[in-house]
Amino acid sequence: MLDQPTIPRAQTATEDDRSAVTHRRPSPRKRAGLAVRHVILVVLALLTLFPVVLIISTVFKTPADIRTDPFGLFTSFSMENLVSAWTVGRFSDYLLNSILLSVPSTLAVVAISTMAGYAFARLPFPGRTVIFYTVLLGLLVPFFTYMIPLYFQLRSMGLLDTLVGANLVLTLTGIAFGTFFMRAFFSELPEELEQAARVDGCSELQIFVRVMMPLTSSGMGALAVFTFLSNWNNFLVPLLYLPSGDYRPLTTGLYMFTGGRSLDIGPLAAGTLITILPVIVLFLLLQRQVTQGFISGAVKG
Amino acid sequence: MARHHHAPAVTRRAQTRLGLLLALPALIMTVVFFLFPMGSALYFSVVDFDGIDPTPEFVGFANYTEMFTDPEVWHALSNNVIWIVIGTAAPMVIGLLIAVLIWSVQRGSVIYRLAFFLPFILPGVVIGIVWTWIYDPANGWLNRALGAIGLESLQRGWLGDPSLALYAVLATAIWAYSAFVIVIFLSALRNVDIELVDASRIDGANAGNRLIHIILPQIMPVFLMVLTLTLVGGFSVFDIVFIMTGGGPADASNVLGTYSYTQAFQLSRIGYGTTLALLITVLSVPFAVALNRLQRRMALQETGV
Repeated sequence: MLDQPTIPRAQTATEDDRSAVTHRRPSPRKRAGLAVRHVILVVLALLTLFPVVLIISTVFKTPADIRTDPFGLFTSFSMENLVSAWTVGRFSDYLLNSILLSVPSTLAVVAISTMAGYAFARLPFPGRTVIFYTVLLGLLVPFFTYMIPLYFQLRSMGLLDTLVGANLVLTLTGIAFGTFFMRAFFSELPEELEQAARVDGCSELQIFVRVMMPLTSSGMGALAVFTFLSNWNNFLVPLLYLPSGDYRPLTTGLYMFTGGRSLDIGPLAAGTLITILPVIVLFLLLQRQVTQGFISGAVKG
Repeated sequence: MARHHHAPAVTRRAQTRLGLLLALPALIMTVVFFLFPMGSALYFSVVDFDGIDPTPEFVGFANYTEMFTDPEVWHALSNNVIWIVIGTAAPMVIGLLIAVLIWSVQRGSVIYRLAFFLPFILPGVVIGIVWTWIYDPANGWLNRALGAIGLESLQRGWLGDPSLALYAVLATAIWAYSAFVIVIFLSALRNVDIELVDASRIDGANAGNRLIHIILPQIMPVFLMVLTLTLVGGFSVFDIVFIMTGGGPADASNVLGTYSYTQAFQLSRIGYGTTLALLITVLSVPFAVALNRLQRRMALQETGV
């Protein structure tokens, strides 16, 4: 595969060319092939979505139905599970804690990564390369390596079992990728922009904040959504560093719930729905930016 | 204006000052919450620390010797290897095929994309919970489905069977990882030269040939990136195993991650647990570096630099 001739990139088909190709009247054989492919995809998509359907079905069952047939699809309807998850199951607290863990850490990751990304991409300063690779080391080393000592470090810093401590750890786990990602965006901006702003009398800080940063807003947005999703879904950080349960977010809250009897399946399903609903909504609204940004940042290096 | 223009000294000084200032928060966070605990990890691995004693006993390489002679380490490691091999190969193949299939039908691709994306964004704990229901011995849909097609003999308690638990969890992970692979490959496929694919079709290349010789080389850097992420992730897999089986039944599905966690946080053997975590690092970092190098080289080749 390696000795394939390199492909000339210049004549890549544009979107218009592509639709022109598809709009040509397909032969019957080709149309049959297309239909088969659609059937395969629909079946696979339904299989992929089945677990989510199962959650929704279980959420809206009556407790009596859950006792006799917990996973039968859509055999009854009640809101009881949602209500008991919200009130008895403390999922309203967990939801609040999830927000308090994800929002500040996401803002911190975006701010720190944007600043560092700009510095590493465009500002010469002594030790730049060494500092850059030090920050980037976090991309290479698994969280496992340092998570156990970090527990005792947070304990001696008085940050164990605090929202501040967990937010700081979530921030740390995001800035290696974030810095790497934002640096790629800043590296692409033309040198002339910076010089023109300097000629106009902008200070270095103004060049960063007023000229360069607005041009990477799509990158910052993608990083924010991506970071928010990872932090919202994070399990290990709250499991380790919020042990008492006072600030338990949805993920570890759900885990604690699984220890219960099978009677709790209804509220547990409701809890999973509360956990994934914001994530799904966010992703449906912003999926294009997220994946696009993720790909470009990762491949450019 | 000349591209390499030498900035005046005043500008240089201002840039240096701002550069240091902007890099400082990232550096402080990295030193305090990453480098420092990494150093402590090395220290923890040579002491017998129970989490309470402020001056733990120095034990030299005892934790390391124990690690190499502990049969459970080898068992967990072999589970990691199974996880890595199957858990990388299966999502790569499934993901590539589905991505190319979505890419090739074009119409409706937005809806397919959303459907196949979904597992990618769900938290591991939710994935674990819902698949535990699917595997439920009495009411789960897997056993129901087997019953419905006359395969009652295959019905069992999937997560409770020591010889199957790891594979049951792995199947769940493949479901989730495949979504990730599809997401990434679909984006990469947008840049694939469709004229080249059409030309090869006219030249008589079949679908398999087109995939391997025309499409795959064009998305190779992304392919390697995904390979790196799934491979390296395979060494430190934790969430989904911990949630679905806790490493059980009777340690059958233990991986290094769950074993390290159990030793450190459930048995208070902090020194030993940390040593196991270091093993995960030593195993995964070389893979990450090697694959990353290869990926870079290919990315450069592709752009013709």
